[in-house]
Amino acid sequence: MSRRVLLVFAHPSRDSLNGAVLEHAITGLDRGGHEVRIRDLYAENFSPRLTCAEKRGHLDAPETKPQLADDFADLRWCDVIVLVHPTWWGGQPAILKGWFDRVWASGVAWTLPDGASHIRPGLTNVRRIVTLATHGSPWRVNAVQGVPGRRIANRAMRAVCHPLCRTSWVALYAVDRVTDSRRRRFLRRVERRMTRL
Amino acid sequence: MHATVLLAHPDPDSFAHALANRAVIGLRTAGWTVDLIDLDAIDYPGAATPDEWRAYPTAEPILDDVVRRHADLIRHTDALVFVYPTWWSSVPAVLKSWMERTLVPGVAFTLEGPKNRLVPQLTNLRYVVGITTYGSPWWYVKLVNDAGRRTISRTLGLLARGHASRRWLALYSLDSRSTQSRQKFLDRVERDMAALR
Repeated sequence: MSRRVLLVFAHPSRDSLNGAVLEHAITGLDRGGHEVRIRDLYAENFSPRLTCAEKRGHLDAPETKPQLADDFADLRWCDVIVLVHPTWWGGQPAILKGWFDRVWASGVAWTLPDGASHIRPGLTNVRRIVTLATHGSPWRVNAVQGVPGRRIANRAMRAVCHPLCRTSWVALYAVDRVTDSRRRRFLRRVERRMTRL
Repeated sequence: MHATVLLAHPDPDSFAHALANRAVIGLRTAGWTVDLIDLDAIDYPGAATPDEWRAYPTAEPILDDVVRRHADLIRHTDALVFVYPTWWSSVPAVLKSWMERTLVPGVAFTLEGPKNRLVPQLTNLRYVVGITTYGSPWWYVKLVNDAGRRTISRTLGLLARGHASRRWLALYSLDSRSTQSRQKFLDRVERDMAALR
């Protein structure tokens, strides 16, 4: 089945392992016949800081934030979100956290009905979140840190998607120490996973 | 005794600002000297730059004077106090950016030996404190995720090699709180900070 995929890339350089992950992801997605929109946050100079005006109007309708209209449109269009990023301090790079902070806004990603104690899902179009992550540290160090990044994507973000939304975390650990063949195997795995979405 | 208070909220009239002010008052009452860093007020960049990413594995990972000043500060401070609103279960992007740019090799930790063993360097820290507000109720935070707390308590706790005592002061369901209950939390923050020795 062909999917509409929003691919978000959050690494400062395409000339990196993450850049290779992105390339292989695109190859895999093309082979699977999926429709793809790519957001390269660093290349676009995406500003990750929620502004004072955006904070003050955080419950206002999305139409009041024309500066984010394209980002909102992408979120509403897709049925799969693929996040490609390195893991820094246990989680997503700040630029990607900022994309969550600003773009997953009221009226798009969630609603807060009058008198409700917590937010309700707005992205019922999103049925899958896949993260393609690299980690500098080995798996067990991540476990001690409590995998905050994985919890943000697979729990906090998932909570506002379709109730049956599936999540996967496809990761390569201890990237500075792995052999070339491990790395190639990981890239092939990324490609395969993207083809078969 | 010296404390560094990091504040991350774009609105100068925010409740987070009131919390930071009361935390500073409390600390000063107890005889601490305090540096307050209001990240949005100093227009702190929301993400590490491509040049910083390239410099990260080198002997000179810090390229910016502000970052250098902050690094010197936290190498000598006795308490690190984070004040921020919890967004998407974690810290705002600008605070994540501060961690990524400041807590670099040579400041927060060193990598030693052939296996790049991580050796914590923030052993000067006696307290790591988080003061935060959640839009969601307590049960929702526990059920879905508390990544910000994990990042600060565990990762920073690790970098202080367990020398630091960790405190967590949180107000849940912020939006439905009465003025009185907010006031009570402000008093509690001041009282708890005044009790740090």
